[in-house]
Amino acid sequence: MKATDVVTTALGNTMRSKARTILTVIAIFIGAFTLTLTSGLGVGINQYVDRALEGFGDQDQIYVQKIADQTETTSQGPQKYDPDEAASDGMFGGMPMLSEGDIETVRGIDGVESVDPTVFVSATYLEAQNGDQYRLTLGAPGQSGSLEYAAGESPARDADEITIPSTWLDALGYDDAEAAVGETVKVGMTNVVGEEQDFDATISGVTDEMISGAGADPVPSSSFNEKLYDYQVSGGPDDTPQAYIAATAVVPDLDQQNQVKTDLSDEGMLGMTFEDQLGAIRGVINAVTWVLNGFALIALLAAAFGIVNTLLMSVQERTREIGLMKSLGMSPGKIFGLFSSEAVLIGLIGSLIGVGGGVLVGTVANAALTGEGGALSSVAGLTLYGIAPVQLLGIVVLIMVIAFIAGTLPAARAARKDPIEALRYE
Amino acid sequence: MEPAVLETENLVKVYGRGANRFDALKGLTLEIRRGESVAVIGKSGSGKSTLMHLMALLDRPSQGVVALNGRPVSELKNKEIHKLRNESFGFVFQQFFLNPNQTVLENVVLPLKIAGVAKRERNRRGMEALERLEMADKAKNKATDLSGGQKQRACIARALVTSPSVIFADEPTGNLDSNTSEVVEEILFGLQREQGITLVIVTHDDDLAAKCDRRIYLKDGEIVQAEEIHADSAGAPAQGTTGGEREDTSTGAHVAPAPQYPATEPWAAPADSDGPKHREEGTR
Ligand SMILES: Nc1ncnc2c1ncn2[C@@H]1O[C@H](COP(=O)(O)OP(=O)(O)OP(=O)(O)O)[C@@H](O)[C@H]1O
Ligand SMILES: [Mg+2]
Repeated sequence: MKATDVVTTALGNTMRSKARTILTVIAIFIGAFTLTLTSGLGVGINQYVDRALEGFGDQDQIYVQKIADQTETTSQGPQKYDPDEAASDGMFGGMPMLSEGDIETVRGIDGVESVDPTVFVSATYLEAQNGDQYRLTLGAPGQSGSLEYAAGESPARDADEITIPSTWLDALGYDDAEAAVGETVKVGMTNVVGEEQDFDATISGVTDEMISGAGADPVPSSSFNEKLYDYQVSGGPDDTPQAYIAATAVVPDLDQQNQVKTDLSDEGMLGMTFEDQLGAIRGVINAVTWVLNGFALIALLAAAFGIVNTLLMSVQERTREIGLMKSLGMSPGKIFGLFSSEAVLIGLIGSLIGVGGGVLVGTVANAALTGEGGALSSVAGLTLYGIAPVQLLGIVVLIMVIAFIAGTLPAARAARKDPIEALRYE
Repeated sequence: MEPAVLETENLVKVYGRGANRFDALKGLTLEIRRGESVAVIGKSGSGKSTLMHLMALLDRPSQGVVALNGRPVSELKNKEIHKLRNESFGFVFQQFFLNPNQTVLENVVLPLKIAGVAKRERNRRGMEALERLEMADKAKNKATDLSGGQKQRACIARALVTSPSVIFADEPTGNLDSNTSEVVEEILFGLQREQGITLVIVTHDDDLAAKCDRRIYLKDGEIVQAEEIHADSAGAPAQGTTGGEREDTSTGAHVAPAPQYPATEPWAAPADSDGPKHREEGTR
């Protein structure tokens, strides 16, 4: 028997007892539908997280923090105050801080190209060429590499450069993004004792705001940011020790990142790549997704027994037909093939309808919940359901494999039937 | 004398074991020549169907040899046996075994479908077979819509469609009234005459048996009497086939060592291999 004939015959046979086939298909459908929804939920939320954090970091950056001393983070009641210890540790809101020495240590680690301590620069204003001044909040220099640019490029590390958001173009008096690039703006600063000074910066690029919110504020280059910070802390007593809550180390060679992380932890610091930070979030989402997928898989397991049951009945009913086909020279292998393709067909039909239904319901529900007027529409960029074609294909294949395995028992029973016994069967 | 298509030697079939042991066939030796029609006759339970199943390679003997065209089938691989059954044998069963959900044509082309013949070609050959049985107008009907005689004709068409060299029919007229039986018999013998198809017919029906070239009588798993009547010539001696029948193909001579038993007393037949040798000239 030809393969196409096996499939069409199997299809004809599944359609013979329609009610039974439909019920089995429904069982598969429920499993496939649920699995499509739960896995799509995982995809959707991961997509949201990716988008929400996009623009906040670059692949080659390692985020460095001081590791808290275990004894000091205990929450077993208040700690005794010791003036000497507290001063040397440098804590900020319960977080240990990086000292200048730590920054130097990081700078000395193999593979680290540059280190920027995280500093909070509060600029006073931004002044356009036309003399108008605007209130200014600066973005972190580290994110400049991963922003989306309408024109120009990210500010050069060592130059006095800055980006501006595309929404500011009008107010600053530029016709379009291209026109703004290369122009000069002034950033006004106030130091510790209240003196004001402004600093010139060249516009290196114009950013579009991303869903994550990155790119909504001007972003200075690292060196310009430091220059502003130096002025901001100037004017006070000179011996104020510098301490930072974190630093960003740039490690261009991605293969070296793991080594750098190990070196950091040897020095009592924690290094996390942007991927690590994302990974931690993804890990939680994936764990939850898999618990949900587990329920869907249980439904599929139950459906698999439905297939076994249906096909066993079908083999029993068709004993004579099997005997006839065998006596007409059909080999046991082909009989096995015929019945297992029936199982696979039931699986295929159920999974296609289930995956199709799941995608449809997931997409519609996502639109209803997160779209305009939906219950979750206030969360910008939220997606609850994502379509990953490979994953959907994987679900269909998985179900066909499950169906095939479920079909082996009845199919083997059919293949073993003795043609004579089968023909005698009343 | 035509060469033997099918031969058996000392064929034994035992069902069950221990206390349930049942010897369905107790050492049968016979041969069926190309183009002849042979009736296997005997009481219910005498082993007729068992014998037919062994000759049709549907079952394996407990002992003894079945040879096809002079070649013992035990030498054949399973795959070859399936192919042989599919291509060289046709089956007509008492209970029809038509698939009620399929059309007559679909039922008829089943052996071709199993053989892997393309759809167009198998439908063409199926229609040809149906036309030969004057059933072409029923091709698109469901198999259940047919009368008993039509069903049996559909079965014969199915048996014919692969152009087999042997057709096995187990009680082909058992379910039919006498008129319809005659039509079916006519068709079967017509095939034998016109296409030289060998017929092995298991039957209770003496009239049908009488129309065959030769009859093999079975009783309790043994051949008790066999005779050969030639439709075209009168008075050729009947001949026993019990025990070591051999054919000399070079001369076409047929050597049978067993004596002829009186037809009236088949139960009295001894399994005597020392009986007088009987030489018979080919007459066909
Ligand atoms: N699978 C089996 N197990 C045990 N005994 C069997 C089996 N098949 C057949 N027999 C026995 O073998 C004997 C011969 O059976 P067979 O079917 O060949 O008879 P038959 O001559 O065709 O009879 P009928 O005319 O009724 O069809 C019977 O006594 C039957 O009970
Ligand atoms: Mg029988």
